[in-house]
Amino acid sequence: MIDRLEEGLISLLLGLMTALTFANVVARYVFNSNILWALELTVFMFGWLVLLGASYAVKKGMHLGVDAIIQNIMPGPRKVLGLISVACCIAFSFLLLKGAWDYWANFANLPKTEGRWFPTGFEDRFRGQGWYEVDDIPMPGALRWMEDVFNEGEEYEKIPRLLPYLVLPLSMALLLLRFCQAAWGIWTGRITQLVASHEVEDDEIEAAAEVADSDNRADGTKG
Amino acid sequence: MDVALLFFGVIGLLLIGVPIAVSLGLSSILFLLVFSDTSLASIAQTLFEAFEGHFTLLAIPFFILASSFMSTGGVAKRIIRFSIACVGHFPGGLAIAGVFACMMFAALSGSSPATVVAIGSIVIAGMRQVGYSKDFAAGVICNAGTLGILIPPSIVMVVYAAAVEVSVGRMFLAGVVPGLMAGLMLMITIYVMAKVKNLPKGDWLGWSEIGASGAQAFFGLFLIVIILGGIYGGVFTPTEAAAVASVYAFFVATFVYRDMGPLKDKPRAANGGEFLRNLPKYAAETVIYFVPSFFHKDTQKALFEAGKLTVTLLFVIANALILKHVLTDEQIPQTIANSMLAAGFGPVMFLIIVNVILLIGGQFMEPSGLLVIVAPLVFPIAIELGIDPIHLGIIMVVNMEIGMITPPVGLNLFVTSGVAKMPMMAVVKAALPFLAVLFVFLIMVTYIPWISTALPNAVMGPELIIK
Repeated sequence: MIDRLEEGLISLLLGLMTALTFANVVARYVFNSNILWALELTVFMFGWLVLLGASYAVKKGMHLGVDAIIQNIMPGPRKVLGLISVACCIAFSFLLLKGAWDYWANFANLPKTEGRWFPTGFEDRFRGQGWYEVDDIPMPGALRWMEDVFNEGEEYEKIPRLLPYLVLPLSMALLLLRFCQAAWGIWTGRITQLVASHEVEDDEIEAAAEVADSDNRADGTKG
Repeated sequence: MDVALLFFGVIGLLLIGVPIAVSLGLSSILFLLVFSDTSLASIAQTLFEAFEGHFTLLAIPFFILASSFMSTGGVAKRIIRFSIACVGHFPGGLAIAGVFACMMFAALSGSSPATVVAIGSIVIAGMRQVGYSKDFAAGVICNAGTLGILIPPSIVMVVYAAAVEVSVGRMFLAGVVPGLMAGLMLMITIYVMAKVKNLPKGDWLGWSEIGASGAQAFFGLFLIVIILGGIYGGVFTPTEAAAVASVYAFFVATFVYRDMGPLKDKPRAANGGEFLRNLPKYAAETVIYFVPSFFHKDTQKALFEAGKLTVTLLFVIANALILKHVLTDEQIPQTIANSMLAAGFGPVMFLIIVNVILLIGGQFMEPSGLLVIVAPLVFPIAIELGIDPIHLGIIMVVNMEIGMITPPVGLNLFVTSGVAKMPMMAVVKAALPFLAVLFVFLIMVTYIPWISTALPNAVMGPELIIK
């Protein structure tokens, strides 16, 4: 269910990015105008696609990496290395989650955390930046409620920055969650490594090769 | 010293199986937290700005998507038919046609493994049937497939261009001459081997077959014209060209070739007269199925596959940009360049070192990942030493090509062993003679800058290099 949702979101974002960029070209040459906000919106969708996709990639074990060594050692040491590397990943996503929150919080009129490495509490006094807008994307009517919540009732001309940047804390929290799940998976032996293994790809290729084989036979192969 | 820690951190983490993206990101974050006063918030900002501030990178998902639409079996089959018609009658004809098909397919897709799968799964079986040995067939395709990243458009080139901020258009043009050259060198090698070993040759099928198969392949090959013509004609930016290309590829695959989507089960008539008579029907079908085709499961699948690849690749790149940030702040490449100059190393020695680093790295890592790590470090040094940035880019790409066919992590080796159904080591051995050819080619490209820079400089004017 969640898989379907994430997969749908990945396809949808990429499809929309392509359509929007294409539409902008058409607008320029056919209608001699420009969709001013197209580029900015595409770029934001791009960021959402990759950052949210990163946690999906952890779940499916698709991340790129080097498995030349861990493929060729005994299961015992392999598990130890697996646990060390997943610990690194958890540290990474935890640090970035703190960073992402700190970067986003003020845009949403929320307090940053204090502390350099670890959050030691929320700051007492800060200046909210909920009024901060993006450059080009106009404010759709459906989001007008945000004006009361984040901008003291004042009108937004463009969408507020807190919207596109929301993906940062969101995706890093998801990433942290998925790495913790992966850690459990390695601990219980359900998975053995975090990075994509080439053997998985082999299956896909063989499937492709078989399709081509049957095509060949059907065609009687020229040449 | 602290810098050495940074690099040992990255490499150490990589080797114990941490994903590339996390190795790069975590080492850089730790370095910044310990040795500088950068806050975590600004690192998170850097991560987002990878997308917000680098419009060039936006071309990558679109190129991946275009090649995902073009990788349906039908396009490859038409290209193979066309190339057999053109060069199949030479000694070793089918092998030469395989190389030629790989070159053409490389111009449609930006990736090498995709080229091997698409062309190899058909050609290797075909070569076996007319009497080539399996090893020879696999060796040829495995090597020719690497042209995918050298002949434009190429995803690896976009990654390089974005990582070091050179023009994508220039990089693409720079790949044309070396790409054709490498293809020709492979073909000549096959020709000579065919003469010596008396390998089978096909029949000359006549100009009509070239015409007929050419017309079939035309719609696919026109994609190159859109991309290159669009960029150099000043019609599109590279990013827009890639987006237009993927829409075009979707349209051709769904409505012209009907390899995917709602019209898959209603193939077009093959003969000309019947085709013309049915033309109104085809047009009507295109209109009726136009909107449904966007939501067809084949379209969704292509989008999803491309999306997956985009996610994994770009997450690495975004983290590599954090590392680049560190390198720039600490002036690390400049320091290395100065100490190299002081030690009396010139550009020649430097290029040898670069080649060796990339060849070793390429044996363990996937090309784009390696490139984003090495390029930001090597690039400023090369500029100090007076090496042309475009030339450097092509050298790196050719190194990656060789990396793809050397164990243990030669991507093309894995793919070929799957497609040809033979063990990895057998493919490695089979690829060796042609690997030697690519090595000679690498040396030529490295020490004759003209090969890479002549065409871009002629078309786009000499380049301004800002130190």
